[in-house]
Amino acid sequence: MKRIEPLSESYYYILLCLAKGANHGYGIMQMTEKLSGGDVKIGSGTMYGATGNMMKKGWIREIMSDEPGLERRRLYQLTDSGRKALRAEINRLQRMLENAEGV
Amino acid sequence: MSSNYKTSFKAYTAWNYEREIEDLNKASEKSWQLVKGGCFHSRFVKNPDVHYRYQLDFGRIEDMGRYIETFREQGWEYINSTFNGWHYFRKLYDPSQPEESYEIFTDRESLHEMNNRWARLALILGIILAAFAVFYAVRSFTHLTIPSLIRFFMFLIESALLLRGWFIMRNPESSRNRRGDGAIFAIFLSVIILGAGISIILEGQRPHMWTTQQASSIDQPIIDNRWNDFDVKYADNYYLDLKLEAPAPMTFEIVNDAGEAVFTQTATAFDEKNIRLKLPRGHYQFSISCTTGYYVYCDLD
Repeated sequence: MKRIEPLSESYYYILLCLAKGANHGYGIMQMTEKLSGGDVKIGSGTMYGATGNMMKKGWIREIMSDEPGLERRRLYQLTDSGRKALRAEINRLQRMLENAEGV
Repeated sequence: MSSNYKTSFKAYTAWNYEREIEDLNKASEKSWQLVKGGCFHSRFVKNPDVHYRYQLDFGRIEDMGRYIETFREQGWEYINSTFNGWHYFRKLYDPSQPEESYEIFTDRESLHEMNNRWARLALILGIILAAFAVFYAVRSFTHLTIPSLIRFFMFLIESALLLRGWFIMRNPESSRNRRGDGAIFAIFLSVIILGAGISIILEGQRPHMWTTQQASSIDQPIIDNRWNDFDVKYADNYYLDLKLEAPAPMTFEIVNDAGEAVFTQTATAFDEKNIRLKLPRGHYQFSISCTTGYYVYCDLD
């Protein structure tokens, strides 16, 4: 099995925000801020780079929205391998937390 | 053009892009709004009613539509891109918003990725230029001329400046916002333009002589033994490739206008390349004194 690289904070939150469904960049940014209580912000440059890299990795894909009022809006959707990467990262973080509790 | 527009020729080195952003923000406060950013000059329009904050990104953008949309979503307006891959953005300034909302790179990783995109290009280009410098340095051992010396220094200075930029961009904490930026940029540009220009002009002024002479048979009478002349426009080292064959010793000479031989070779068989001749400015002629049946090849540059 390939060694799991820790995700950067931005990658982690982007994947987390997409776990419940597709979203656009702005939605991801807002949801990240809300989830983290304002601690984590994802600026446009960071967002473009992170989503581009994760599309290359096959973790997320781009779809066009067909919701009324949001037509032709670019949405990001988690893929199966993206879900696996997120799961692995959550497990890793959980293990690290448990380790800390054991000290 | 009305006075509502102005062009600024202020140049910044890549590793000081943060200072460019600061200057654009200050200009906006003074009601000069950037309409087109560039490497060599920028255009501004006067508008005292708005106040923008600016950001710069660097890199080849694979999906421009997605790129612009990602920025627009957070209130960034795309201004333009330069030919070498810098992208300018602006956002209306709202004092009630926190300062972080005017950042585009919000984690260390993505900022380093951006810096590394530039640093990688600078490293590749720096190494190529350094290779040229090494080439001209090695060549100078056997083929030292003024144009090749100029090219050596030109490539040396350029590669040193680029590799320094690579280092600074890779270690941003070490030495951001150095002063004397415009001077470095000016040196870089003038070295490229002057160095390339002068060495091309000097190269073009060198005599590029190439000739072969062959008498078809031993019976052929001695022809006029002066058949070629050339001008040396500036004193330098010039290099001669010479090949002589003759049934009896023949003499090959390069003679100046005063009738003095600056080079003489007498032989029945001779073949040598890159013979260094230190020639002052002047007019010269090749001359052979020979019997019949000779062969001469000579190449001077």
